[in-house]
Amino acid sequence: MEEDSLKVIIRTFATLREIFGGTGVLYLELPEGSTIEDLLRELRKQYGSKLDVGRLVGENPNVKILVNGREITYLDGLGTRLRDGDSVAFIPPVAGG
Amino acid sequence: MEIQSPSYHRSLADKLNLSSEELERYDRQLRLLGFGVESQLKLKRSRVLVVGVGGLGSVATLYLASAGVGLLRMVDYGDVELSNLNRQILYTMIDLGRPKVESAAKHLQKLNPEIKIEAIRERLTEENVEELLSGVDLVVDCLDNFRTRFILNDACVEHGKPLIHGAIYGAEGRLMTIIPGKGPCLRCLIPREPAEHDKIPVLGPLPGIVGALEALEAIKVITGLGEPAIGKLIVIDGMDLSFYTIEIRRNPDCPVCRKIKIEEG
Repeated sequence: MEEDSLKVIIRTFATLREIFGGTGVLYLELPEGSTIEDLLRELRKQYGSKLDVGRLVGENPNVKILVNGREITYLDGLGTRLRDGDSVAFIPPVAGG
Repeated sequence: MEIQSPSYHRSLADKLNLSSEELERYDRQLRLLGFGVESQLKLKRSRVLVVGVGGLGSVATLYLASAGVGLLRMVDYGDVELSNLNRQILYTMIDLGRPKVESAAKHLQKLNPEIKIEAIRERLTEENVEELLSGVDLVVDCLDNFRTRFILNDACVEHGKPLIHGAIYGAEGRLMTIIPGKGPCLRCLIPREPAEHDKIPVLGPLPGIVGALEALEAIKVITGLGEPAIGKLIVIDGMDLSFYTIEIRRNPDCPVCRKIKIEEG
């Protein structure tokens, strides 16, 4: 890994997991100093049409975005800074019973 | 905490009208530290509404009936179908085509004849929700869609009824205990009305796990034991067996619960 980059692990859940396939776990390398907004931009670049952006981006408050288990609303929102080794989760609501 | 002797339970039970059969039936939970006859009586006096007797409701009602809630009111419109049987463990082949609430009531009454059971074969709507809620102390959400959940949430918040929320998808589960005025409601958690999905994937044990957790939360709220998951969304990933606890706060702009006086703490 280059010195000026960071690697994060992304876990996706429920309907989002179906978009990414498999176990829904992705690894992403980003430049140092990247935020959640940068991560979302990178995901859009990589997964493009496969990804229903409206469901994932911070615009949709139903999808909880967590960094190391904390919801970003209670951190710095989309501006939350990422560090090497961080775990990011995208959790949409579910309705089955 | 002091562990009470069986004779202590016996004398208190006599005073409080618990039968010998009831003492024997509930013996193992009466032995739980801090539970005792007082908690059993709280359960006996409680009136619980379970909305939906599918995958979640099958298991939640089994545990609530066996724990000894005084009144178990169930509401569901559906009939038992073959595709239900991978997860809806209240039913067997003999129940195919029969109304779920009727089969459920028969089975649960056989399990525990001490409790009162009401089976209501209706769809919960804005029109009947108040009537369904009337006289109950606690509500368990075992529904299978967002729209009805929001109707139930809004009515529970308005009437100050505790609501245990559970939901599943595939091999995942969600759980949150909603106490109006004490923590966030379902609309704080899910501010927008999401798209509904029909015939979602479900691995049978998941609604079992979440339904059992819902019954556990209901018992805790009724008896006052332990710490219910208020303001905590429990996310279960059955695929790698991870349990996540996510802090959820009240949304100050929540159109439903912002009107309720806050008693944080």
